[in-house]
Amino acid sequence: MMMESKNNIRECRGNEADIAIEIRDVTKTYGKHRGISHLSFVVPKGDIFGFLGPNGAGKSTTIRCMLGMLHFQKGEIRILGMDAKKQTREILRKVGYMPSEAMFYPSMKVKDVIRLAVEARKMNCDSEARRICDLLDVDREKRISELSLGNRKKVSIVCAMQHQPELLILDEPTSGLDPLMQEVFFKLVLEQNARGTTCFLSSHVLSEVKRYCKNVAIIKEGELVKLDSVENLLRSGIRQVKVWQGGQERQFTYSGNARELIRELDTMQVDDVLIEEPSLEELFIHYYQEEA
Amino acid sequence: MTLWKHEMKMNIKSLLIWSCCIGIVNFGCLLLFENLADTMEQMAKSYSQMGSFSTVLGLDRLSIATMEGFYATELGLIFAIGGAMFAAMTGASMLAKEEEGHTSEFLHTLPFGRRYIIRWKYLAMASAIILFQIIAILWETLGFAIAGEMPEVQEYLLFHGAQFFMQLEVGSVCLLVSAGSRKKQIGTALGLAVLLYVADMMCRIVPDIEKLKYATPYYFSNAADIFTSGKVDCGMLGISVVITVAAFMCAFGVYMRKDLTA
Repeated sequence: MMMESKNNIRECRGNEADIAIEIRDVTKTYGKHRGISHLSFVVPKGDIFGFLGPNGAGKSTTIRCMLGMLHFQKGEIRILGMDAKKQTREILRKVGYMPSEAMFYPSMKVKDVIRLAVEARKMNCDSEARRICDLLDVDREKRISELSLGNRKKVSIVCAMQHQPELLILDEPTSGLDPLMQEVFFKLVLEQNARGTTCFLSSHVLSEVKRYCKNVAIIKEGELVKLDSVENLLRSGIRQVKVWQGGQERQFTYSGNARELIRELDTMQVDDVLIEEPSLEELFIHYYQEEA
Repeated sequence: MTLWKHEMKMNIKSLLIWSCCIGIVNFGCLLLFENLADTMEQMAKSYSQMGSFSTVLGLDRLSIATMEGFYATELGLIFAIGGAMFAAMTGASMLAKEEEGHTSEFLHTLPFGRRYIIRWKYLAMASAIILFQIIAILWETLGFAIAGEMPEVQEYLLFHGAQFFMQLEVGSVCLLVSAGSRKKQIGTALGLAVLLYVADMMCRIVPDIEKLKYATPYYFSNAADIFTSGKVDCGMLGISVVITVAAFMCAFGVYMRKDLTA
């Protein structure tokens, strides 16, 4: 038996100057197909914000709406105080984006891709670009077509961070990176965050979210199902319950009153019971699953 | 200018291959002309009496036995079809290649904006067409110089000027196709270039569909017509310009409203 309670969607409001991303009642559909529906949340400046959801939940749709690649039908998105529909170019000057699939022009060399990203911003980022390339061991003379996924991801990191953006949007940033490079990558993220950069991290790797993110939003089927700090989420009152009954083991997630749980267990006449705090993975699966 | 430079670098290979192919073919034919001059003399009269075939190629108005006639009826056609195909391919791939090659997520998250992107890509296409003209003209001029005979300069320049507008119109229409597609429609583009030539041929032969001449830019940029009359039909050139501008504006509108895939 599993008891679930639907979490209320909480909006965090504050001064516009303190907000990096404000998504207000945004709906995006693809014809008859659902994209995202009445999505609302706020990311404070200086935060490292996790954005989680199962495949097809609408994470990439949300990110692409933020960056002007997709047109949403309803709602408002403000990035660093600017309207995402009307001020796309100004927003992109201040944002560093790392897509999940790092694709570049195959015939170009790495240094030319990096230079194109710099020239687009009319900035001189040579020293910072070289520093990041050295840290990530990027061969600037190679052609993009000669690079593996992991090495293309590294180029993507350089392009996203070299101009020291105010907002970093990272879509599954560590997929394809070896563990050493993952460490280096997060060192760079923390460095940027220490300078005041807000980091918006969409990831399936929950250990990263748990380790680095302060706040997290969970999206499912285009809707926000949970918005809270990682700390509160882990102390959410949700419990993993294992019961043994007639030699059979059963497991379920319970969120509710402890007295109700004890009463339920009593009626079940269990032989043994184990009640634990769930890991972030188990919490995640709990929010992902269909309600009973 | 950043994006223009980038596009020119991306297209330079295709530009050089196409312009040199067309240029070298015409260069080679010009060198052959001297050797074939006697044969051409004998064939010229027969070619001028082949009814519709002569009308379509301008052989009833110009003699294939002269350098000017040979260029206008034969080499001008090679240039026109080859140039139109190049323009069509360039236009058809200019916008759609970003989504097909999955580079749209990189390009469209740089602080360019879609207005900037479509504007500079269009200018890059126009620049490529101009460079195509220049490179092919250089090969042709070399051929004329070695052959020791030049056509009338005014008519020659008028022809290439008209060809530029023709190719720009074809490229612009294909850019519109590209704006609405997620894949490069190369087949459609090449088919369009050929179809417009066929329309030109048909409207010259079949009186009932003469009005088709307004729909095909090959008509006003026909080498035989220009070398015979010494001018370009300004009314039809005006229609071409209107179609070019309309195609660009529609491409702009479509691209601004489109959802871009990664």
